[in-house]
Formats: sequence, C-alpha cells, structure tokens
Amino acid sequence: MSEILSMKNVSVHFPVKGGLPFFNRGVIQAVSDVSLTIRHGETFGIVGESGCGKTTLANTMIGMVKPTNGQVLFNGTDLNALPREEFKRVRRQMQMIFQDPFSSLNPRFNVYQLISEPMFIRGEDSEEAMVARVVELLELVGLSSEDLYRHPSDFSGGQRQRIGIARAISLNPSFLVCDEPVSALDVSIHAQILNLLVEIQEQLKLTYVFISHNLADVKNICDRMAVMYLGKVMESGDSDKIFRDPKHPYTQALLAAVLDTSFDERRKQAILQGDIPSPINPPVGCRFWQRCPQAMEGCKTVPPGLIGVEEDHHVACHLVNGFPNGELPQDYDRPLAKPDVRS
Amino acid sequence: MKQMLKLRNLKVVFPTDYGVIRAVESVDLDIGDRECVALVGESGCGKTVTSQSVMRLIESPPAITRVDSIWFDGREIKDLSPKEMQEIRGKDMAMIFQDAMTSLNPVMTVGNQIDEMYMRHQGDSKSEARKKTVKALELIGLPEPEARANSFPHQLSGGMRQRVLLAMAFACMPKLIIADEPTTALDVTIQAQVLKTLRGMQQGCGTALLLVTHDLSVVASIADTVYVMYAGKIVEKAPVKELFTSPYHPYTVGLMAAVPRLTDKKRKFTQIPGTVPHPARKPSGCYFHPRCEYATEQCKREMPPLQPIGQDREVRCFHPLRTGGAERE
Repeated sequence: MSEILSMKNVSVHFPVKGGLPFFNRGVIQAVSDVSLTIRHGETFGIVGESGCGKTTLANTMIGMVKPTNGQVLFNGTDLNALPREEFKRVRRQMQMIFQDPFSSLNPRFNVYQLISEPMFIRGEDSEEAMVARVVELLELVGLSSEDLYRHPSDFSGGQRQRIGIARAISLNPSFLVCDEPVSALDVSIHAQILNLLVEIQEQLKLTYVFISHNLADVKNICDRMAVMYLGKVMESGDSDKIFRDPKHPYTQALLAAVLDTSFDERRKQAILQGDIPSPINPPVGCRFWQRCPQAMEGCKTVPPGLIGVEEDHHVACHLVNGFPNGELPQDYDRPLAKPDVRS
Repeated sequence: MKQMLKLRNLKVVFPTDYGVIRAVESVDLDIGDRECVALVGESGCGKTVTSQSVMRLIESPPAITRVDSIWFDGREIKDLSPKEMQEIRGKDMAMIFQDAMTSLNPVMTVGNQIDEMYMRHQGDSKSEARKKTVKALELIGLPEPEARANSFPHQLSGGMRQRVLLAMAFACMPKLIIADEPTTALDVTIQAQVLKTLRGMQQGCGTALLLVTHDLSVVASIADTVYVMYAGKIVEKAPVKELFTSPYHPYTVGLMAAVPRLTDKKRKFTQIPGTVPHPARKPSGCYFHPRCEYATEQCKREMPPLQPIGQDREVRCFHPLRTGGAERE
C-alpha cells in the first residue's frame, strides 16, 4: 500500500517567550524526533494524554505548524518547501475536524455560509453550484436542506459536529485530520458521529488521522496507530498487534487505566504514579522513566530508539529492545527502587 | 441501613423566553449512610440541578423549586434560612466540582483555601488550621504537603488540583459529599488515581457520596447504587451490579451499548437514534418514546410511573426489558 503522508524526524519546538523578566525562558519540545508513515485509505490513530503533543503533531501534518526539524511529505512532496500558491492548492486535499463543535463554528454564520466558506475561498464555483453542493453535503451527514439558513445556536452538539464534518469534506479532500471529534459529545451521540465518520470514509475513500485519548474508540476505528508520551512516539504500528500485545509499559498502563463497564470483576488496576512531567525540560533518557513501574538505572540517561519488534510494530523501550551496545553507564540494568508507592 | 439523605418529589422549573423548562420533575433520591450513589445521564438531563438542589444552591429566582422534603441526617433542611444552610454547607455536606481550575481561587494559596474550612467551621486558629491542612493534604496523597500548601492553583497539575478539592471537601469530615463530574477533566491515568483516592477516602471517613456523572465506566468502578436520569426524570434505579448485568429500561440498555469497549468489534458502533429532546419541548407520554424501538401507542400517550421491579429496583417503563444486557452479542 502506498503512503499518503510520511514524517521524517519531525521536531516542533516552541520558545517560551515573555512573562516576567527573571522568568526562566526555555523551549517546549512539543514533538521531538517523530517519524511515521500513513498509508492511503487507512485510519491512523494518535493516542496520548493531554500535553503529549498529539494536536501539535496533527497540525504539523497539515502544515499549520512548521516543524523545527525534519520533513513532512504529502504524496511525496515536502509541504514546507512548497511556494505559497502551490501549498494552498495541496492544502485543499487536507482538512480538519475539530474537537469542540461549540467554538469551531462561527455563531454569526448560517449553515450555508459555514459549509460553503471553503468553496467561497477557492472561488471557482457559482452561487447556485455552492447551494447545490451544500445541500448534497447536508444530506450526506444526516441533516436536511431545511437547515440551510439556520444558525449554529439552533443545533445540538451532535448536529453541530455534523456541520463541522460537512465543512471539512466540502472540497473533496483525500486526507482528513479528526482532532478528538467525539470527546465533547454525549455517549448516545458519540456512536452516531463515529458511525458517520466510518460511512463517509468508505464512500469518499478518505484517509483519516484520528486523535483521541479514548483507547476504546481508537481500537474500534483505527487500522494503525501511534502512542505518544511527552512529544515522543512510544509505540506504533498495526493497532490490532498493539492492542493484542502491548509491549511498552506506558501502553500497558494506558490500557489498564481504561475503566470498564463489564462486571466480571472490579479489575485490579495498575495505577501509574505521579503526573506527566513538563515538556519544557523533559527527562534526558527515556521520557517515561519517572513514572515507569519497570524503569532501570540506564533508562535515566540513555534515550531508547523506536525499533521494530515484529512487522509493523515498533516500540521505544529498553526493556523490550535491550540497551544499545557501546558506552553504557554502570549498573545500567539495575531496577530503580520505587520508594514513593502510593496506595 | 440508616438514611443519610431522603429527597422527596423535587421539582425545579426555569421560566425562560423560549418557554418553561422543567429541568427536574418529581425526583426522589435516597442515600444511605456510607453509601455511594451515582446519578447518571446525558447533558441537560437535570443531574446537576438535582445535586445542587440537595445543597440548596439553585437560586430562586430565576428557578422555581418545589420539594416535599429534603431530609438530611435526621432533620428537615428544606425550610432552613440561608444562614443556617451556610452552617451545613462545607461542614456536613460538601461539594467537589468538575473543573478544579475554576473552582479554586487563583489568587490564594491552596493551603489558605483549605485553612478557611477549619477556621470557619471548627473555630481553629490559623496555625492549628494549617497543621490540619497539611495533614489533610498528606492523607489525600499529595507529595510534599507542606510545600504544596503554599502553592497557588496554577502551579499544580490538573490531578493535584483535583486532589486539593478532595482534601477541601473532606476537611471537616462531612456526612455527605456531592461530587459533580469529579474526574471528567482529567486524563485516563490521572482519573484512575483520583477515583481510587476518592473511593478510599469515602470508605475511610465513612462518608456518603453522591456522584454525578455521565461516564458509565466511572459509575461501574465506584458506585453502590445508580439512578439513571433522562430529560428530568429518573428512569431507572438499581444496585450497580444488577444495573450493569441486566438493565431494564431501553434507555439504560442503549446507553450501555453505546459505550465503546475494548472488547468490541471493529468499525461498528451501537448508537441510540435521535437526540435528547429540548427541555422546553419534551414529547408527550414517555419522554424516551421517540428514540425507543419498543415504543407502543400507550408509550406515546402516557408517562409510565416509576414502579418497583424485583428487589431494590425501580424502572419507569411499560415494557421493561427482562433480557437486558443479554441482547448484546
């Protein structure tokens, strides 16, 4: 299968500016050294906790954020090397669905204006063609032509998200980034929107990037995925393989933290200690060592590389891959004592 | 079991320009001593209004509240004056809000905010209060409690702020704690930590807990009894295990099926058709009938009563589903 998008050693750093004069300035390493490939027609999931860089990564994919280092190749062309006009043309192929349907729709616009805005900006269609296209899109997402001149405030959260989806597919994109598309919605609407996304993908042969913190959604909708922590990919590859046999301790902990409604037993949960460290001065070695239940002495200083353990399944962990040969610190494989274990 | 809270026939109405919004209609709620009761429902179903009415936090006007009885810890509190209610709030009944960032005062250290609880309700001096605060923070599992007491809310992470709220709620060892979506704003790994602390504190202190949430997995992990709300009415009440193994109300069944699980099949999500009715334009008969696949003519005409079914269970449905969860796969 061919690749639609690939990222090569992409890093995105944001300088911390301003604040008090004696405030320590630094650099937020939102994404560091991420390489991944997304194939035509698949759904690629990005999972992680807040602040792990998943939204920044998605913004980098569609060229909204320029990477500090590395390349983003869309259908083989480097997005950030394109001249402005050319970039705008390529960019029409890539659209985004946002998390919050309440703030991502302009409340002063009616549905027609909202959905036709991308076509209006492209400036190739007549008014009649745009109306016809908007009606067609509304029907595709489960709304009707009666809704054409209503405003976002007349709609519920789920309906607004449908408008957001219609707007995103109005220019027939091939690549769609869904940034937490259902996390602001109620349970009963949640499934409706996910089903709609799956339907549209099949009809229009789209490639999705699906960002979520909900592992159950990712498992059900994604073909391949990446688990992120503090700007780094911890585990990536075929989502079936990752869910069947999670190798990285962080992936395992994320899975264990999912509360389940099945009542076979109140499952014992391996609860992670502590909070996510700040991305301003991330740990030198493995980014996860401070919270890792199986961390070793060497994890503090030696950063693990993302290495394949089987076909299309990569893990960045010394525990799985072993330490690289060469200069290793003393006692590198001594397990770290964990005195601060809270009940 | 001793009753901690007995709420009878609560009705809350908001008159608006769009019509009268009946946010809560005839809700009865019982919470036993040391029990964890969950109130579950989607947004706009009236769960927050119900929980705030228990503390009498709903202002009137604009709201019009009618209640037969709020029996709390052996006395009637529905007619208490605002001053008497202030004595109860924080001391006997405390609340944990969803968003820790907005419910903490950003210009006071968290220590000072917790100190206030002891100074106000137990008449402690500042130094006594601080000792108790540090102890409370330690109990809740905050590392370096003394240093943390001098931090401002923005210096703490989301999980730590939520723990500070827990410490504040448990400060005076209240008899009832109302937690309104306590973990919704948190990440999964942090959510697991905070829920475990909440459950541990609740059992350790012997507090009754009213948990308001939309998240069924949170309910499954800590509640004892569950009330399911839909459009302002209780539609089902059951002990947690029975509710999850054999739900009776079609809405409960749909809600459970709609929660995506790790064990699900690929690319197919069970959904409930339609949307929650607008609170000012509720349908006739059973409020759920337009979305219910089992609805009959009777459901369109009449509102079913909340009737007992089996032991300790109640359901508001003419055609409760005996098979319940068995239909799923």
